[in-house]
Amino acid sequence: MASTVIGAGITIEGEVTADDDVVVQGTIRGKLTSRDAVTVESGAVVEADVASGPLSVAGAVTGNITSTSRPARRSSAT
Amino acid sequence: MATRDAVTVIGRGTHVRGKVAGDGDLEIQGRVDGSVAVDGDVTIEQGGLVASDVSGRRIVVRGAVKGDLTATESIALEEGARVVGDLRAPRVAIVGGLVRGYVQSGDGQGAPRGAVKSAAVARPAVAAKPAVPAAKPAVVAAPAPSAPRAVQASNGSPAARAAQPAPQQVAHVSRERAEAPRAISLAGGAPAAKQGPPPQVVPSLKKGAKGALKKKA
Repeated sequence: MASTVIGAGITIEGEVTADDDVVVQGTIRGKLTSRDAVTVESGAVVEADVASGPLSVAGAVTGNITSTSRPARRSSAT
Repeated sequence: MATRDAVTVIGRGTHVRGKVAGDGDLEIQGRVDGSVAVDGDVTIEQGGLVASDVSGRRIVVRGAVKGDLTATESIALEEGARVVGDLRAPRVAIVGGLVRGYVQSGDGQGAPRGAVKSAAVARPAVAAKPAVPAAKPAVVAAPAPSAPRAVQASNGSPAARAAQPAPQQVAHVSRERAEAPRAISLAGGAPAAKQGPPPQVVPSLKKGAKGALKKKA
């Protein structure tokens, strides 16, 4: 279980900083920083600069991505 | 609604700066510096901290909140809760924890907003007073109304509460700071103030009058 989950239907406008992994099912506008893995699930919208550990994208990410490993792009990723 | 099942968790090591809004339940174990406004239930867990206003359907607090809580259904402060701000909901339960601020329950949402605002301005002055003096005015100003309100502010009339914001506020400050002294002063002080000292049974005589009566006899 991920320590932080942004559920579908939830919108965060601002900056999210996490020590643990983050799963995004909803919307984040601003900035997303995590020391651990970030998963952007399908249907999620991230209009933010993302700095993270391993990143997995199935949803939409608009912004600069800085990841410690190559972003894994799942189908439907944009 | 499908999204109702989706639970959003702000984890222990997570810090959100900005506003959180939308639809669905929210569990906050980390820190949020920004307003929280969701349609679902909001739970602020132990160790969780919200430094802004929170609104939701049902709000459960076990952590810390510095801001107003507004719920469309209920607010519950459980063990470990610390709230500096006003509570506004049809039902408010304070099981444990501390509150510094107004508690407004009942259906009178929005109408007494002006009263709430004016009280919020006055609050720092009252809050600055030491605990014991704060407890005394509560009894003097409104001995009867403050008692039921403090015990459980669940089914009172909002109009009456809006009419006299000051005693309510003092009562709540004292509730937080001086739980025990206030309880004592309400139990012992209120009936005493109503009855006063018992009437004298024997009319008092001037000094020496008794002796004078004896001499006559």
